[in-house]
Amino acid sequence: MKKINWSKYSKPIILVAFVIALSILRPKAFLSLDNFSNVLWSVAVIGIMVSGTIFVFLIGGIDLSIATLCALSAVVVVSVTNMLGGGVGAVLLGVLAALVTGALAGAIHGLIITKFNIPAFLVTFATQSIFLGLAMVLTNNKIVSCTAPAFTAIGAFKILGFPLPVYFMAIIALASWAVLRKTVFGRYVYAVGGNPVASEISGINVRGASIMCYVVSGLTTALGGVVLASMTQQASAATGAGYTNDVITAGVIGGVSLLGGEGTLPGAIFGAVLMGLLNNGLNLMSVPSTHAGLVKGLVIVVAVAFDAMNHADQSKKKVKKFKKTKDTAKESA
Amino acid sequence: MKRKGIALLLIAIMAIMSLAACAGGETTRTDDGAGSGQAAGGTSSKVKVDPYGGDEVKIAYIAHDIKTPNNQGWKEGIERVTSNWSNIKVDSYGAEESAEKQVQIMTDCINQGYNAIILQCSDGTALAPSVKQAEEAGIPVVTVNLDCSSDTIHSALVMAVDYDGGRMAAEKMAEQMGEKGKIAIIQGVPGLERTDNLEKGFRDTIAKYSGIEIVDAQSASFQKDTAMTVMNSFLQSYPDLAGVFAINDAMAEGAALAAQSANKKGEICIWGADGEKDALAMIESGDMAGTIYTNSWDEGSTAAKIALLMMGSEYDYTVLTATPKVIMEPIVVTKDNVGDIAEEDRW
Repeated sequence: MKKINWSKYSKPIILVAFVIALSILRPKAFLSLDNFSNVLWSVAVIGIMVSGTIFVFLIGGIDLSIATLCALSAVVVVSVTNMLGGGVGAVLLGVLAALVTGALAGAIHGLIITKFNIPAFLVTFATQSIFLGLAMVLTNNKIVSCTAPAFTAIGAFKILGFPLPVYFMAIIALASWAVLRKTVFGRYVYAVGGNPVASEISGINVRGASIMCYVVSGLTTALGGVVLASMTQQASAATGAGYTNDVITAGVIGGVSLLGGEGTLPGAIFGAVLMGLLNNGLNLMSVPSTHAGLVKGLVIVVAVAFDAMNHADQSKKKVKKFKKTKDTAKESA
Repeated sequence: MKRKGIALLLIAIMAIMSLAACAGGETTRTDDGAGSGQAAGGTSSKVKVDPYGGDEVKIAYIAHDIKTPNNQGWKEGIERVTSNWSNIKVDSYGAEESAEKQVQIMTDCINQGYNAIILQCSDGTALAPSVKQAEEAGIPVVTVNLDCSSDTIHSALVMAVDYDGGRMAAEKMAEQMGEKGKIAIIQGVPGLERTDNLEKGFRDTIAKYSGIEIVDAQSASFQKDTAMTVMNSFLQSYPDLAGVFAINDAMAEGAALAAQSANKKGEICIWGADGEKDALAMIESGDMAGTIYTNSWDEGSTAAKIALLMMGSEYDYTVLTATPKVIMEPIVVTKDNVGDIAEEDRW
């Protein structure tokens, strides 16, 4: 008889439990298409970013420059769009310029980290302040705003009740999942994160793969910046403040190991959505901001512990099974 | 490889020593000053300088977070005053929203012998000892908007209205709403005196209108994008929401965008406070109902003038029994008078 392996589903179970709890507590406000759309909208930027940054986490790297690269690309897209007159063409070029900025930033990260063998923590810590400085210089430390309809549509235009960023998140998450699960490059990423020396010996181009990972992270961060700028109709050096933490937290809650080699994209998206649902729940329950932090922390600990407990059960079972086969092997010998 | 390492080490040591030598020359005087000040118990070692008479002076401007429009406005305001004198130098520092960093910057500025410090306190209690130390070393401290704890007397506080700002917003909002309906508040970071007072002024005044009820209050940490999320959940929880008061303009703009996205543009009476450029534009377009405008440039200029006055006068903080306050003129802006605020006054 085939037993259902519940531990595999612990993350969806947590989300469903959350949805049920909030549906009971706040049926009218919570259970509506609008609200689900709002929750997904609020996590879209984090979801887009973590879909790329996960590559960096998986090779055992880290990116501390997410927030300021997000600000820089937001500034680039708004400035270029404004400069070219705010039409559809201007917006497309603006988005392109922002994405190029992100990819370049990622390539620089990757090159420096692999060439000089400096920890990613240090390199991205330094570039974080470079990007911030660039964003300040480009804007003269002011808010640049853009209300051109073609630009604001990126963040607010709705299809079937869901705003565009939600679709962006879905597409990019799916693409990222496919690359990680179905391609050779995806295997390399896990291999490099698991054991870079062994990967190198077995013929994987570790350096190339690592640089690629940082480029992907730069690209999604830039896209996150574009979406955020469009949603808020403005950009400044302060755009995206706090997103570095949010993205790393989403990954870690979703079971991505910062040591590399471990974690899945659905896990990371789970982390982002859980945080979104949590914030939404706290708002709908009118939890005062003085208590919100406390409640949030407690819920995250409980959810993560529940998830980890299930995984521990799973590995215990594996050990048991292994011992059993070893014993039978001994007996037969 | 080893030799290269030793060479690098030597270069590093030399660099540090030369830095120390430079700093040493400047610190000696102020260090002595601080020492004698403490010995005498709360007396200042202030040396009068004449900034308008050609004395070389330098002013430090230390912001809580240099990236916000407010801080940029103050910085430009300060520079407007000082730029006409080649002997007055202004250096700007950002504390990256950290009180610890700000304390460190304060210590550095005191050691480097600045003639005055203009400070936006990240945390009133944490910064109080640094402010006291600066005044004892003869450096006048002018705080802007966010003051250090009130028992620490210093040269001056320049601020935008707080309690009264909340009162004015509440009165005008009540009028616009026909004195009835549900209101939600979007808060900043709890525990900051100015914004807490703003909220208190608003709540106390709204309490006088029996038809208006404050149904909820949530924090969006002064962020525009977070305010959109908060506003979305308000719209879910209270379909009949009639008004929103946000503690700053960035959050009011976020709330207005969320309302727009929910096809409720102009239906909800959304108010902010500050009067930044984008908020005024949103009042013109009908997305926002009003704000309390303060001229940030003027505020920065005022702080700079007081700093120059204090460093150029015989007086120092020891003659004061309380920190003198300058409160900036608030303007209640609605669609009716937003056109009166000239383009060159929009920061």
